[in-house]
Order: sequence, then structure tokens, then C-alpha cells
Amino acid sequence: MGNCFKSSSNDDISLLRGNDTESNESTIEPPPFVEPPPPYRAQPEPQRRMPIYHPSPGVSRPANQLSEDEQIKIAQRLGLINHLPTGKYDGTNKKAKECVICMNEFLIGEPLRYLPCMHIYHKECIDDWLMRSFTCPSCMEPVDAALLTTYQTN
Amino acid sequence: MSGLPRRIIKETQRLMAEPVSGITAVPDEHNSRYFHVVVAGPSQSPYEGGLFKLELFLPEEYPMSAPKVRFMTKIYHPNIDKLGRICLDILKDKWSPALQIRTVLLSIQALLSAPNPDDPLDNNVADHWKSNEKSAIDQARQWTQTYAKSNMNNH
Repeated sequence: MGNCFKSSSNDDISLLRGNDTESNESTIEPPPFVEPPPPYRAQPEPQRRMPIYHPSPGVSRPANQLSEDEQIKIAQRLGLINHLPTGKYDGTNKKAKECVICMNEFLIGEPLRYLPCMHIYHKECIDDWLMRSFTCPSCMEPVDAALLTTYQTN
Repeated sequence: MSGLPRRIIKETQRLMAEPVSGITAVPDEHNSRYFHVVVAGPSQSPYEGGLFKLELFLPEEYPMSAPKVRFMTKIYHPNIDKLGRICLDILKDKWSPALQIRTVLLSIQALLSAPNPDDPLDNNVADHWKSNEKSAIDQARQWTQTYAKSNMNNH
């Protein structure tokens, strides 16, 4: 386990979901740098496009102000999120019609993400939330525990 | 208001169309993220008969972060402090974007029915509650009469 900021280290986590379809669309962009800039480079210019992360709920920090532990946590989280299955809404699921996060109806072709508890959200909506809290918004089930259960019962 | 998320518009419309019983929430005419809320004290509680004004604000990050809610009307309750701040898990670490303005207000209404002195925000009130529940409830009833009676201009 390194603290490298690149996401989706497929090698170590893929065993959680066996032979699964790897969602390798690289839709979660790796942050544009590996380490925080050294202090002498702390100029305003690189901060303009700095992504904001949420190392814990309610905490928002630009990527260059994260502690090493927070970087590790976020990198792990990005990797785990990438292992949750995705799909596109095709209108066949009659139960899930609306994304409870944005409260908009699912439209045909919109990218979705499926959590192990079987709750479904817009990919963009749930990924934003999972980066803050690794729980299902609807049932509050911790997603990593559910991932492990999936692995153990397979 | 430009750039108001569809979710906030929808929630507002639904709140208007199907109001929660005992609760009104009206968006401010100048700021659609700010709601003027009135919660009626639940029956069988020491707050019965009172009308409690609250303010609710949807921060920029909503629904990724919880609404900010505060009692404007003075209330004697172990989980609500002098400034009207509320100790309620779903407003803090148990927030989930599946919750809504409606569910938050219902939870606050429920908190009035079931004060929890073991998880206090105001220690004096909580100590009072734990040492002499009957007297604390009397005090809460008295405050309801004094501060939460119909005259809604009285903060």
C-alpha cells in the first residue's frame, strides 16, 4: 500500500469482486499530481484548478492541503469506488425511477452506479457522496463492509 | 435566483403541495436557500400549544452536506442550547443526501416529543432533566407559555 495518489490500483482490490466487469472507463480522474507542491511553489496559480476533497464529512480541502493520511484515505476510496459496478439506465428497472440524491428521474442512457445493497444512483451523484462518506444514502449501510460480504459469500 | 439546483426547487414545490402536519416551511422571498420554519409543539409534550420559529438554510453543498437549522424561539430542551442550536445526529455525522428538508423537520418535531438528556447540548438543562424530570418538564411547559405562544413576532 503506497500513498501514491493514482486511483484504481486494480491489482489489490479487484479480489473483492472476483470476475467482475472492471469499470475501467477511467471516469474517476486521478488528481493531476502525486505530491503536494513544495512550499516554495505555493503560488496562487496552481491553486486555481485544484480539486477539492472531503477527507471526512463536513471537511473540504484543496488537494494540496491534504495530510499524507488523508491522501492515502482518498486514494483508497477512489480505488474502492471504481470497483462498484456501473451501468446505464435502460428503463427496465421499474422500482428505481428517481435518483434520491438529485431527485431527478433516471433518463435512458444515463450512467448509474449500483451499490452492494442494491440501491441505485446516478453515477455522478453517488460518487460525489461516496468521496465524503462510504455509506449508502438510502440504507446507511457501510459500502466497504457490504463489499466484503459480497466477496465472502461468492 | 440563478443556479438553484433542481432538487431544491422540487423540494420546495413538494413542501408547498403536501405540507407536513404541524410544520410550515416557507422560502425567503430574497433567498431560496433560506426557509422560515414554524413547528407546532407536539401533543403530549411540554411544548404542546407552542409555535416554535426556526430558520433553515441549505448550504452551497446541499444535499452533500446537511441543512443548517436553528431554533429562533427560546425553548427549554436538553438537546437545544441557548442559541437555538440543535444536537441531532442527522444534522451532523448521520446526514445522508437521501434525507430532505421534510425529514429533517420531522426529526426535529420528534426530538421535541422525545428529549434525550443523555446526549445533551445544554448541560444545565440536561442535568435538570436527569435529576428532576418532572420539574424540568414544568419549566419547559412554562417557557412554552412564555416564549412560544401565538405571538410569532416574539423571537
